[in-house]
Amino acid sequence: MKPAVLALGVVLALAAPEVVQPSEQPRTGGVLRAAMIGEPPTLDLHTTTAVIVQQITWHIYETLFTYDRQYNAVPMLADTHTVTDNGRTYLVKLRRGVKFHNGKELTSADVVASLRRWGRLATPGKAAWRNVEGVEAKDPYTVAMYLKEPSGSLLQVLARPNNGAAIYPKEIADGAGDQPIKEYIGTGPYRFVEHKPDRHIRLARFKDYVARTDPPNGPGGKRVAYLDEILFVPVPDVAVRLAGVETGEYHYGQQIKPDQYERVKTVRDIVPGIIKPAGWTTAVLNHKQGLMTDKRIRQAFQAALDMEPILAAGWGNKTFYRVDPSLMHVEQPQWYTKVGEDAYNQRNPAKAQKLLKDAGYAGQPVRWITTKEYEWMYKNALVARQQLEAAGFKIDLQVVDWATLVQRRNKPEVWDVFSTGITFNPDPAYNTGVQCNWPGWWCHEEKDRWLDAVARESEPSRRKAMWGKVQAIFYEDVGRVKFGDFFTLEVTRKELHGYHPTGEMAFWNVWLSK
Amino acid sequence: MKTYVARRLLALIPVILVVATVAFVLIHLAPGDPASIIAGPDASPDDVARIQRQLGLDAPFHVQLFRWYGRLARGDLGQSIFLRRPVLEAIVDRAEPTILLTLYATLIAVTLGVPAGVVAARHHDGTADQALMAGALVGISIPNFLLGLLLILVFSVRLGWFPVAGYVPLESGWLGTLRSLTLPAFALGVVQSALIARIARSAMLDVLREPFITAGRARGLSERAVVYKHALKNAMIPTITVIGISLAILISGSVIVEQVFNIPGLGRLIISAVLRRDYPVIQGVVLCIAGIYMLVNLAVDLSYVVFDPRIRYQ
Repeated sequence: MKPAVLALGVVLALAAPEVVQPSEQPRTGGVLRAAMIGEPPTLDLHTTTAVIVQQITWHIYETLFTYDRQYNAVPMLADTHTVTDNGRTYLVKLRRGVKFHNGKELTSADVVASLRRWGRLATPGKAAWRNVEGVEAKDPYTVAMYLKEPSGSLLQVLARPNNGAAIYPKEIADGAGDQPIKEYIGTGPYRFVEHKPDRHIRLARFKDYVARTDPPNGPGGKRVAYLDEILFVPVPDVAVRLAGVETGEYHYGQQIKPDQYERVKTVRDIVPGIIKPAGWTTAVLNHKQGLMTDKRIRQAFQAALDMEPILAAGWGNKTFYRVDPSLMHVEQPQWYTKVGEDAYNQRNPAKAQKLLKDAGYAGQPVRWITTKEYEWMYKNALVARQQLEAAGFKIDLQVVDWATLVQRRNKPEVWDVFSTGITFNPDPAYNTGVQCNWPGWWCHEEKDRWLDAVARESEPSRRKAMWGKVQAIFYEDVGRVKFGDFFTLEVTRKELHGYHPTGEMAFWNVWLSK
Repeated sequence: MKTYVARRLLALIPVILVVATVAFVLIHLAPGDPASIIAGPDASPDDVARIQRQLGLDAPFHVQLFRWYGRLARGDLGQSIFLRRPVLEAIVDRAEPTILLTLYATLIAVTLGVPAGVVAARHHDGTADQALMAGALVGISIPNFLLGLLLILVFSVRLGWFPVAGYVPLESGWLGTLRSLTLPAFALGVVQSALIARIARSAMLDVLREPFITAGRARGLSERAVVYKHALKNAMIPTITVIGISLAILISGSVIVEQVFNIPGLGRLIISAVLRRDYPVIQGVVLCIAGIYMLVNLAVDLSYVVFDPRIRYQ
């Protein structure tokens, strides 16, 4: 046992030298209290793309595949997989002896029922299912997936944590149908205990958890539940989240204001963590209806902007933003490309004016919906408005709450631009930033063809080249307007060990030293 | 008296109906809907539409309104969309912290406010009066969420006397409850005590100028007896009215303070319901708070009898 623990310690130490001291032995026990930004809208991972649902529930549910540190798909509940029939049939062997929290053993029947439901309800599931002919159980431990065409992204999408293909017991997946599930049972290292709205969600160690034996690598590999319990406490006020971590009431606080970074660095007992990258911030343009359907107006919009001040207003501290044209981040070398960068950050109001004149723009107000619920969205929009108006645009900035924004954006007749952030995506094939069936309705025949090609192709360098085509069109056609990359700040207590700041937030392989 | 109370209670019904209609109409006219929140930011419009159908939100407005009346007639406030439980149950569950917080804050407001007002009136225009009224001015001017954050900074982060946030329910020990509610109760109560102090002072000043006070003094009553026995009792009517009003203000004030101090009360319930457009919860809590307002008003009216025997209700 000891060498294994030591080996794990070494692996963790290599992964994050700033958090774990090599002499530190993992300790079992304790209750971790995590201060979250709010309440999850549901605990049914199949039905929502809300990040907080993934962050909480992926301690409970597991997927067939997950990611390693470099965001390659690696098996989780799957043991091995083989691809036959020219890439159109995937045979996935399951690990044996894996138990659900209700004591039942995981079999292919559970996987088939869960995947079908996910393919029917989840946004990425539906996208993947366009290419899926069927799923069936070959034997209790083998699942077969039949595709219409070969796919280079099937494992990636099955590995996705957000709105992910969580495996529920068959009775729960079938019993719920399209309605939300009522029991939260998975195979994960922590099991669901209770949800007291506005108080906490309590998870406890699943003592019959069957871990993988390969060493931890990002979310992949062995997962150990050192903690007795995890309490996810909704703490909507950002100042209170930080104060609570300072006093030791919480061990973890998410989404701390970047302007607190310099101070947090000097506070004893707390460790700042930067989630890098967290995503990119953008103005989504309406391609279906209104002014922005004119490409010249979109190009004028893009030409007028100077990204540095826009981002500086949003985040204040340079540590938390980056001016960069690539739609996939520089941390993802397998995707990073600067194709199209000439059109990014042009700072050219004169060109914008000319384009507007050519388009016959006569000062019609551009309706831009934004929200203060995410302060940076509002501040980005405020500075961008100034720059756009200097170039001759007339901007009608409508500040609403987030619930209003996400509803109105579905109605093409009421807006021209809206603010949002595109969260970090490991694989561009399902990146909402470029999808056609998402508000903004940026449907472009050639782009969509390349995007399909990216999803189908499996050879990495060819996939990257195809993605480059998509990005080139993104800038040429002005699919959306990217402002820049952003990172988020979170804080942990010193006694929390083994934790790595990532957007997904994982508390397995994490322990409390007191 | 009994018929008066019965009449007042009956008068609640039409008011409740109006509140129910207004709450329903306003919240449904407001943009935003729960389906988009459930589906999350990356969901496609089809996914949102599917969830709307599941929730019955695709039905025409008047159909939904009459469904709401129908349920209300049966005493059913409906089912929360996000909490997946009856609204009434959620309200009962959340009432404890809010009621305790409101009472605690009222206690603080009265124990600080009334004596401060009386002392200020007795030392009219003296140093004590000016100091107290200056303090009251600061108290009225400071928003309670700001006071809350300042209290957290000093008493939790610096001194470590009280928890930063959170609530300990009564069932796990009243001392813990008291500790967890002290800072929020002060954040709420101090602001109200300032209001009460000012009203108590001016009411006292009015009474102290009355002929019966002069008569009392002429008869050789001690100053204590004049002020506390005769003047204070007569100054209580306007003060009680203000305490009643402030109790109502505290219930709504608790909405913000509960958010800051992370107390799972009615205030948190309605804020998260509004942000997520959990229609049944918003309607239910609004109705409930309207009912409490009316009952507090009734209680205040009835308490006048205790302080002024000349008042009779028929």
